[in-house]
Amino acid sequence: MSGTLFRSLFNSLSLYNCSATRSLHTATVYYAARKGTRAKARAKKVKVEITKVGFIPHNQRGKDKLAKTIINKHLDDSHKSIPQDNVYPLRYYRWPVYTAEEAVRAHQETHHPSMYNEPEAFVYAKVEINMEGVKKNRYIDNFSRLTLLPHYFPQDEERTILAFCKGPELIKQVAEAGATMAGSTELVKKIQEGTVKLGDYDYVIAHPNIITDLVPIRGLMKRRFPNIKAGTLDTNICDLVKKFAAGIQYRVIKDENQQNFGSVEVPIGRLNMSPSSIAENIDILLKDIQTVRPKRDGLFITRCIIVSPPSSEKLKIDPFVHVDRTLSKEVQEDSDDEDNVAVATA
Amino acid sequence: MLGLRALLNKSTVIEQASFFQQTRNTFILKRRWPPPLHKKNGRVPKLKARHFVYDLIEDTNVNKKPDLKVILNQFVDGAGNVGDILSLRPNVAYKEFLLPGLAVYATPDNLLKYKAAENKSRASSDFSSPYVQRTINCLSRIVLQITMNKTTPWKLESWHIKTSLRKAGYIVPEEAIIMPPKEITGPDLTLQEKEFFITVKINNKEEVNVRCRIHHWATGLERLPWEEFHWKKPLEALFPEQAEILAKMTLPE
Repeated sequence: MSGTLFRSLFNSLSLYNCSATRSLHTATVYYAARKGTRAKARAKKVKVEITKVGFIPHNQRGKDKLAKTIINKHLDDSHKSIPQDNVYPLRYYRWPVYTAEEAVRAHQETHHPSMYNEPEAFVYAKVEINMEGVKKNRYIDNFSRLTLLPHYFPQDEERTILAFCKGPELIKQVAEAGATMAGSTELVKKIQEGTVKLGDYDYVIAHPNIITDLVPIRGLMKRRFPNIKAGTLDTNICDLVKKFAAGIQYRVIKDENQQNFGSVEVPIGRLNMSPSSIAENIDILLKDIQTVRPKRDGLFITRCIIVSPPSSEKLKIDPFVHVDRTLSKEVQEDSDDEDNVAVATA
Repeated sequence: MLGLRALLNKSTVIEQASFFQQTRNTFILKRRWPPPLHKKNGRVPKLKARHFVYDLIEDTNVNKKPDLKVILNQFVDGAGNVGDILSLRPNVAYKEFLLPGLAVYATPDNLLKYKAAENKSRASSDFSSPYVQRTINCLSRIVLQITMNKTTPWKLESWHIKTSLRKAGYIVPEEAIIMPPKEITGPDLTLQEKEFFITVKINNKEEVNVRCRIHHWATGLERLPWEEFHWKKPLEALFPEQAEILAKMTLPE
C-alpha cells in the first residue's frame, strides 16, 4: 500500500528528474523460490516419531541398555596365571596351548571306538580374526575364499564344475581332473539352445583360449563369467578344476555386535588322517587367511581353536607357528598408496 | 592460684595435642594469574583478588597408592609358602595378610630374616604348592562322567579317565591317576547305576579321590534316555571296599 503511494508520489515528481528516479524500486520485491527448494526443505526435515513408552517400574528401567553391553569377544586370558602343578583345574589358569598334532591326537582319544566311536569325525579349525582395517573405525568386509588343502579328505557336499577350453586333448585332461562337464564351442551352443543349464553347476571356469567364444553367453552367465579376479580363468585349467573340486570354501563373517570380531569354522580334515597331515592342512589354511591381512599394525589372526564334534572340547593352538604375528614395518609403509585391499575371491 | 592455672594450662595443652589428627591431604595448586615480578629493592606490588585464584594440579589424597610388598610367615592356601614375597594392593595386604598375622612388611630386616627361614621350611612344608588345596577341593566336588561306548567292547584304562577329566576341565596326566582296584569292562548297562572312585596324586604328593560314573554313549535308537539331575542321585558303589569312602564324599546339591 505504502509502496504504491510512494510510487505515485515519485511519479508526480518525475516531471523534474525522470531518468534518475525510474530505476529506484521501493516496493517489496518477491523473488519466486527456485523450483524444488521447498520440496527439498520439506524432505530435509526429519520426522520425529514419538513412541509412547508405557510405565516401567523403576527397578526395571534401563534393562535393555544393560543387555546391549556386550562382552569383548576377543578373549584375553593373559591376566590369569600359568599353572605350576601337574594337576590343575583349567578355569583358574590360561588356556593350554597345544601344537596342531597334539590337538588332533587329543581329539582322536575322545573319538576312539571305546568312547564316542567316531573315528571319521570332521576336524574343524575355528579361526578368530581381528577385522580392523587400515584406518580406524574401518573394518574389512566379510570375505569368502576357496583353497586347496594339501591333504585331501572326503567332504559331504558334491560340487559340479563346468569347464570351457579348446582342443580335444585339453578337454580330455580337464574331464579326467574332475570337471562335471567340459567342452568348447559346441558347449556354448548347447547353453544358448538351453539343453545345458548353467544353474545346474556350482562353478564355471574357463581357459583363456576360449574366452572370446564365450562372449555370446556372457548375458546368461552374468557375474559368473570367468575372470582372473575371481580366480575362474587360468591357463592351467586342470589345476583349477582340482582346486574347485576338492578345495574347501569358507566365509569369514563379522560379528553383528562387534565389528572387529570375525570368525570362521573350516573343516581341515578327518580324525582318521594322520595328525601331521592335518597340521599341514591347518598351516595352508592359516596362510591363506593371512593373505587377506590389511596392511596395518597388530594382530590379524587372533586365535585358532581345533574342535571336533560331537566332543565339546576346544583345543587352542598357536597360529603364529604357521603365520607371522605382525606385519613387518616396510610392508606397512609401502602400502600407503593402495588402500586396504580386502577383496573376496570366491 | 598460679598452680591451678598451670595445671589447667597443662591439661588443655595435652587435650589439644590429643586432638591433632594426621591428615594426608596435600593439594598441589597453581596460580591461575601469577603476580608480576618486581624490581630489585623496588616496591612489592599489591596482590589483587585474581592472584588468589588457584587451579588444582594434584590431590595426593585420591592418588592411587603403590602396591605393598609383604613376606608370608607361614603357608597360606592360595597365596604361597613361608618367605614368599607378595605384591598386593594395600587394602588387601592389611586386611587379609598383615592383620591376621599371616605376613610381615617386606623391610630389609624381615627380608633377611625370612630368607633364612625359607630355606629351612621348604622341605617341611605341608603342601607341594599354594594352589594344591584349591585343586583338591575342586576335584573332590565333581562327579566325573566317563563317556564309554554302548556298542563296542572296552576296558577302562587310565587314558579314558585322563580324557574325561580334560573334557570336564581338569588337566591330569596319566601317571597321576591311580585306577580302581579291579578292572572295569563293558559295555555293561548295570554299570550305569554304579559308581566308583579313582585317586589323583597331585605333584606326586597329595592324594584326592574323584567320584566317577560311567555313561554309555550311543546315537540314534540305541541312545539312553536323558535323566534329569543324574549327578545328584546317590548310587551304589561298584566295589564294596570303596563303599565307605564314597559314602563320606559329598554329592553336589
